[in-house]
Amino acid sequence: MAEPNSTFKPIKPKLKPKPRTPKQTPESKYWSSFKTHQIPDLISSITSLTFSPSPPHPFAATHSTSLKIFNPQTLSPSSTISSFSDVVSSASFRSDGLLIAASDLSGLIQVFDVKTRTPLRKLRSHTRPVRFLKYPLHDKLHLVSGGDDAVVKYWDVASETPLLELLGHKDYVRCGDFSPVSHEMCVTGSYDHTVKLWDVRVTGSKTVMEVNHGKPVESVVFLPSGGLVATAGGNSVRIWDFIGGGKMVYSMESHTKTVTSVCVGRVGKENVEEGREHRVLSVGLDGYMKVFDYGRMKVTHSMRFPAPLMSIGFSPDCGVRVIGSSNGVMYVGKRKMKEENVESSLRSFWSLGVEQERRVMRPSYFRYFHRGQGEKPKEGDYLVMGPKKVKLAEHDKLLKKFRHKEALVSVLGNKNPENVVAVMEELVARRKLLKCVENLDNEELGSLLMFLQKYSTVPRFSGLLMGLTKKVLEMRVEDIRASEALKGQIRNLKRSVEEEIRIQHSLQELQGIISPLLRIAGRG
Amino acid sequence: MIRGGSSYISSPPAFSNDAKRLLVCTANTVSIFSTSTALQVASLEGHTAAVTSVIVVPGTKVLCYCWTASLDGTIRYWDFSVPELLKTLDVKMPIFSMVIPSIVGQPAESNEKLTDVFAYLSIEDKKVQENRPKAMHGQIRKCNLTASRMVGGLILKETPQPEFITVSSSGKFFGIRNKRKLHVWSVPAIDSGRSLAKKITLHHSKTLSVLAFHPTERIVAAGDVTGRILVWRGFGYRTFSTGDELVNKEEEHPGVRGNDDADSCSTWHWHSAEVKVLSFSSDGAYLYSGGKEGVLVVWQLDTGKKKFLPRIGSPLLCFTDSPDPTLSSISCADNLIHMLEMPSMDILKTISGIKLPHSFPGRYEGLSSGFAFDYTSGLVALRTESYGIQFYSLFDDHGMYEVQVCERNHQPGDEISVVVILVALSQDGSMMSTVEVKLPEEGIGGLVCLKFWALGSENKKFTLSTVIYEPHRDAGISAVAFHPTRHMAVSSSYGGDFKVWVCNDEIHQKGQTLQNSGWACLAVGAYKKKPMTAAAFSLDGSVLAVAAETVITLWDPDKNVLLAVIGETFSPIVTLSFAGKSEYLVSVSRDPKPQLSVWNMSKLSLSWSYRLHIEAVACAVDLLSFAVLALLPESSMCTESNESMSQGRDGAILLFNVMDPVPVASWSVRKAKGGGLSFLQGNPSFLEENISDGNAPKELLVYVNGDHEYVLFDPYSNEANEVSMARRKGLVELEETGQVGYASIYGELPEFKRNQTSLVPSVPSERPWETIFSGSSHNLPPLTKLCAAFLESLMEKRTAAVE
Repeated sequence: MAEPNSTFKPIKPKLKPKPRTPKQTPESKYWSSFKTHQIPDLISSITSLTFSPSPPHPFAATHSTSLKIFNPQTLSPSSTISSFSDVVSSASFRSDGLLIAASDLSGLIQVFDVKTRTPLRKLRSHTRPVRFLKYPLHDKLHLVSGGDDAVVKYWDVASETPLLELLGHKDYVRCGDFSPVSHEMCVTGSYDHTVKLWDVRVTGSKTVMEVNHGKPVESVVFLPSGGLVATAGGNSVRIWDFIGGGKMVYSMESHTKTVTSVCVGRVGKENVEEGREHRVLSVGLDGYMKVFDYGRMKVTHSMRFPAPLMSIGFSPDCGVRVIGSSNGVMYVGKRKMKEENVESSLRSFWSLGVEQERRVMRPSYFRYFHRGQGEKPKEGDYLVMGPKKVKLAEHDKLLKKFRHKEALVSVLGNKNPENVVAVMEELVARRKLLKCVENLDNEELGSLLMFLQKYSTVPRFSGLLMGLTKKVLEMRVEDIRASEALKGQIRNLKRSVEEEIRIQHSLQELQGIISPLLRIAGRG
Repeated sequence: MIRGGSSYISSPPAFSNDAKRLLVCTANTVSIFSTSTALQVASLEGHTAAVTSVIVVPGTKVLCYCWTASLDGTIRYWDFSVPELLKTLDVKMPIFSMVIPSIVGQPAESNEKLTDVFAYLSIEDKKVQENRPKAMHGQIRKCNLTASRMVGGLILKETPQPEFITVSSSGKFFGIRNKRKLHVWSVPAIDSGRSLAKKITLHHSKTLSVLAFHPTERIVAAGDVTGRILVWRGFGYRTFSTGDELVNKEEEHPGVRGNDDADSCSTWHWHSAEVKVLSFSSDGAYLYSGGKEGVLVVWQLDTGKKKFLPRIGSPLLCFTDSPDPTLSSISCADNLIHMLEMPSMDILKTISGIKLPHSFPGRYEGLSSGFAFDYTSGLVALRTESYGIQFYSLFDDHGMYEVQVCERNHQPGDEISVVVILVALSQDGSMMSTVEVKLPEEGIGGLVCLKFWALGSENKKFTLSTVIYEPHRDAGISAVAFHPTRHMAVSSSYGGDFKVWVCNDEIHQKGQTLQNSGWACLAVGAYKKKPMTAAAFSLDGSVLAVAAETVITLWDPDKNVLLAVIGETFSPIVTLSFAGKSEYLVSVSRDPKPQLSVWNMSKLSLSWSYRLHIEAVACAVDLLSFAVLALLPESSMCTESNESMSQGRDGAILLFNVMDPVPVASWSVRKAKGGGLSFLQGNPSFLEENISDGNAPKELLVYVNGDHEYVLFDPYSNEANEVSMARRKGLVELEETGQVGYASIYGELPEFKRNQTSLVPSVPSERPWETIFSGSSHNLPPLTKLCAAFLESLMEKRTAAVE
């Protein structure tokens, strides 16, 4: 059945062409939902970033000769440890988050209590700068470290003695990681281009497996399955299958400069199905952060920062993403957490309940008779929608009242060229545009001319506006001659039109050059 | 044969006494609609020409009698509850309007008392000679309905044209408008054949268009062509009471012209165009007026204050009050009847008829594709004046829905500046494309816009898929055609090129549910910069034929390669169509040298051709035949005009086999100009009822004439004109069968089927006397009717027993 057109339809500007590929995938939307805060004024470059495995997941940043621990909610430094004699190179939280170990370029490794900041143990054995250290995932007693002396050491922290010295690397050891499934397996990457897999149960410092990245390895990380390892070196991030015998799965080459750090990120559960949520995040000296989906072997998001990036960390609860740059600025991306909302809403619900208990409505109140009117619909409720009210803009209201000139003047006043053109089209359809132009006074004519000067050469509008400009000039030539201000407008208009003509000429020349080439190509 | 598509608005409708039914004059029949469902429940068939008046005899709610008058010169008396014809009067002159004042005023018992009922008729006297300079064709006459005869020699008034008679709801006065005058008669209290109604005349300076009487007081309102409403108060006190006493007291009668018999005359002016509708509310406090603007204005009679029902969408033609004070109806010019809930003026329901043809400006006048037919579901898509497309079910004869092509406010009075010029449907009916043109104002602001629509899967309505502004730069589009199987379309333009569009249905993987489906240009083709005037795909979609003025170019739509050129004709081709699966192509060219040509695609040559002015072509999908709607040339019209059969028939449908230039069958039709023709798939449910005919028709031919009345028939059956196919649809129930009680809460109970084997066939038809009197008494028809049926059923039984 026919619907009566009982509501006034506001004018609508012409649609713009939609890009063929959607601008935002759900995933890029997710990654952009991290709201970036800058933490400036850390001295020198941020060499490493690490998150505490225990909630609320504070994170530690090492820069210059100090280690700062940040609160993930407020993003402010909660404590600073600066009892280092040289530049701090790496830090790692113990699995319970109570202790943190940090290494510096003097070769010293110190273990601190996170709360009191007191150094509990000092592990001295490395003769050259230590570049990385790492606590295993569940083991609280040991840690692994490596440095410029090309030796990887497996420490017993309590007794401050290295249990194992894993030899095999021929150049500086720069990075390493423990396996997420076993606290006895670790990988290390070195400037000799190799990544070695060690098992601390194997004596005699023999590597279990070794792969060649082809470039000095800057960063290495186990992927959560425990079978895959991502390595970064040169411009590439490579994924290796260690269970499958150490063959390369994929090489991601979308960075243009050296990749300095990789870590594992996670896409929130609501977007991706189970088991597909993990991503490799990589940062490089080109200032880009790339998100790589190693399930589909595709770079799904890319983000640019204004400085070379040195390190990256991602919080285990997906709430915070930290990127450290070489000039001492930290870019912290923070996401609004759902859990928080739930908690707060729960709290407000309880508090509401308390309030209701306190004030029992009685029919003696006036408000008693209005109770329940502001009730919000619950999730399962069936909503009966009232008719939607069409919001009318000022020009729509005037068009509704057939006050055409006022509508044109009003829409010219609020600087939206699409709406202006839409109103003009509507006036054309009503056969009233030229009459409106005729009735404009000098000031209004000035604003119209200004609009025409600005937009008559825009390709989307020129079809209508060029013709209109001509008509306006024809019709209002007397008024324009009489007014100095309008003459100035006309001069501007003339200039912009001439410029457009110049552009068109040069474009035509280009076309003249290209079209014979195309013709030849088409013939071939 | 199914007929339908008649206009609902040719004459004012009438409500039944219980306001549950609306009697609408639809061509030769009166259709009865339910006011609660807006669906047709019954029809009164019998008149042989257009019905012009329908008057329901007032009375209690169960009384269902009505009088109808028609152009065939008869007045008929019906019981429309059954429905059944009770009485026929022949006055032998076409009746344009009829009022029966005596039954309007009094309740129904006057009917029983056998006082003569007199009707006043507005008839056209054809005997009046044409040679008189001021021929008075229209006459107002009086007719004794009880005695079934005209009151001899009594002509109340002669007018140049037959006029519409308006009667007051009290039944005391009736009147007509006559140019700038208003004639009002007072009905004699005891009406008899001889008693003459007294007449007064009220004058105005403009041509009057409509008048209305106040239900209780002596107030008459009239609207004129400039939009003014004049309200005369206290008319006719002198004439109707004391006789012909002519006293000129100008100063005592403000606003009254000359020595017109009225106390005062006031003027209201809001309408900018002619007032078409004028009606007093039943309590007399308000006056409703309407006109070309499509706004119903409610005037408070004492103060002149106004209230509006704006944007009804098309000019108003008629306002009808019902016995139920909360319900009334307005008829709109686009063949809609809206039911209004009264004090709030909300539109409750709409009876939507087929959209009537409307004029297109200038060069878009004669475009052939005014209709698009949905081959499978039997819908026709028509362009509406308010920038929309109406889908009308041909099998069911009611409007399905409308699609608004252009989001604009329609102002009926305005000059037409936006037109939907083309509509095309794909063969399966799942895709639609429309072309709208915004006409420029003095050369600026013109815009051609091509839109593609997709049929929604759940609500079965078209939604906008893609908008393409200026698809062929500023050139107009001559044709749009869809590929028969794939999501592909072609648009040809007068600017000398055609474009092939494809729909890319990109449904991404489950992770990204963003569905980005849209139409994009695949290829552009041109032939010698000639304007492309028509386009068509072959049935398997392998060949695309595009007419470049007088030649036909054949293309491969996928590779966009010109395959062949065939031609040429004498004048530009306007329509191309492949004849079924055959290798033949039918082309039609019109002025200056009309031609119907059939081309053989394998030989790339002309097979045969006729010099005929073809209005429309339809090709059967499976068979080798096609049908054309040809306009008969003027010369042949003259020779045939003496035959009474071919009166007004200006066209012919010819059914051809492509091989053979001799038509297989032909039918002559009326109002072929602007008509359309198409084959439709025989609807399976429609066929079920005709299975008894033997071979059920596979394809039906539908012909829509210039007034959008249509007829569906089987072109292959031998006696196509006689074959009567029962309506598919049984007439629907009067009341809306909403679920009540248990069912409304829990839904319908599942039907538990008993053991089917022990089912005893019940034969209710053999024992009707048991069921006639069952049912609650207020639902039963009148006793007289029941008795007749009862006795009849008994008699039937007796004869059956004898056999």
